[in-house]
Amino acid sequence: MKFLNSKNIQTIVLVVVVSGLLFLALSGYLTPVFNLSLNPLISLQSWLSVRYLSARDFLTTPREVTQLQEQNASLESRVTQLQTQLIEMEELLGEAQVCFALLEFGRTNPQYDYTAATVIGREISPFLQYIIIDKGTQDGIFYGMPVVTQQGLVGRIDAVIANAARVKLITDSTSLVNVRLQSADVEAQLLGSLTGDLSLDMLPLEQNVEPGDVVLTSGLGGNYPPNIFIGQVLSTQRRENALFQTASVQPIVDFTSINAVLVVNNFSAVDISPLIPEQ
Amino acid sequence: MVAHLVCILLLVVFYILQSAVFSRIVLISGTTDLILLFLVAWALQERVRNTWIWTIVAGFLISLVSAMPFYAPLIAYIGVVAISKLVQSRVWRIPILAMFIVTLLGTFFQHLVYILALQINGAPVAWLESFDLIILPSVLLNLIFSLPIYAVVNDLVGRIYPIEVEL
Repeated sequence: MKFLNSKNIQTIVLVVVVSGLLFLALSGYLTPVFNLSLNPLISLQSWLSVRYLSARDFLTTPREVTQLQEQNASLESRVTQLQTQLIEMEELLGEAQVCFALLEFGRTNPQYDYTAATVIGREISPFLQYIIIDKGTQDGIFYGMPVVTQQGLVGRIDAVIANAARVKLITDSTSLVNVRLQSADVEAQLLGSLTGDLSLDMLPLEQNVEPGDVVLTSGLGGNYPPNIFIGQVLSTQRRENALFQTASVQPIVDFTSINAVLVVNNFSAVDISPLIPEQ
Repeated sequence: MVAHLVCILLLVVFYILQSAVFSRIVLISGTTDLILLFLVAWALQERVRNTWIWTIVAGFLISLVSAMPFYAPLIAYIGVVAISKLVQSRVWRIPILAMFIVTLLGTFFQHLVYILALQINGAPVAWLESFDLIILPSVLLNLIFSLPIYAVVNDLVGRIYPIEVEL
């Protein structure tokens, strides 16, 4: 019975208690007790941590704000530089697209020689539809040469000086172009107007003209080369007792936003006025 | 001499601005005419001399570059400056009001001359269509731009011709 002395009994009780606690803890019976005892600790730790972080931010933030401001200024500067580059690139891309389109037109119409020109101004009077281009006699531009874009007919050279020329648009109220309708194979006259609208005149009444019919230059009169695209018929009008029907034409070229044109170099307009009998 | 230099410079600048920029700003089919506004603002200045010379120069300049019949811009500008001088002597106390009145009357007169000139040359210009689609919008645009042009010209004239103070 020497084994059951007080010291050994204490050890045995301690082992039993610890084993019991471990068993209870591992089996989850002590979780409420742990929660109850840990919650105040966690709350205290959270409170302390928040205060510490606040104090650290208070002490370190001014330096970071300065750094951030410097970084922000640097980045803003970089963004401005990149935006400037982007705008320049977009401008260059726009010019390149126009040049490619003009080049494509030249490739598809190889029978003509072209001189590319930039539009530098418009007629001052609102009654007239003219543009001014930056090529003149020095570049081989002469009176009467047809002017086109990659889309279609624009007009013809009306006046020219050494390094600039004035182009009379087909939308001008005094403009007259001999045209033909591709689908109906009928010829007519294309007239401009004060407002820049285009209309067809001298269309035979018996001819069936439909909206969407393609309008091309006919080459009659010698002012323009044949088969240059002008636009499409929008609608037709038949007046009672009229000898001819008329039609509205939607031009393919946007005359309000022309930036570059092609002057057809190797086409000379023919002046047939002496051949027309006087009335 | 400085006034002459400034005037010719302004005419060139306003022509370039007109041809390159303001002719593209279209209201229905009407546009503003900076040269007309400049001449009106210049003519309404009491201290300015030799207005008529610069009116004729401007008329010739525009006649050279415009597709209008040669005489039309010249007659139009001379008429507009004549209206300016007429109004200036009657509404001299309120120059801004004079500017508006002359811009209104001057634009009508200018377009009247243009229509007549085009009709003489055989262009099919209809009066009613012109009035609705070109003249009225142009009058409105000219009235809008008349105020800044007057301010610019008035400021320039103040610098070129400083007011003499008697001691």
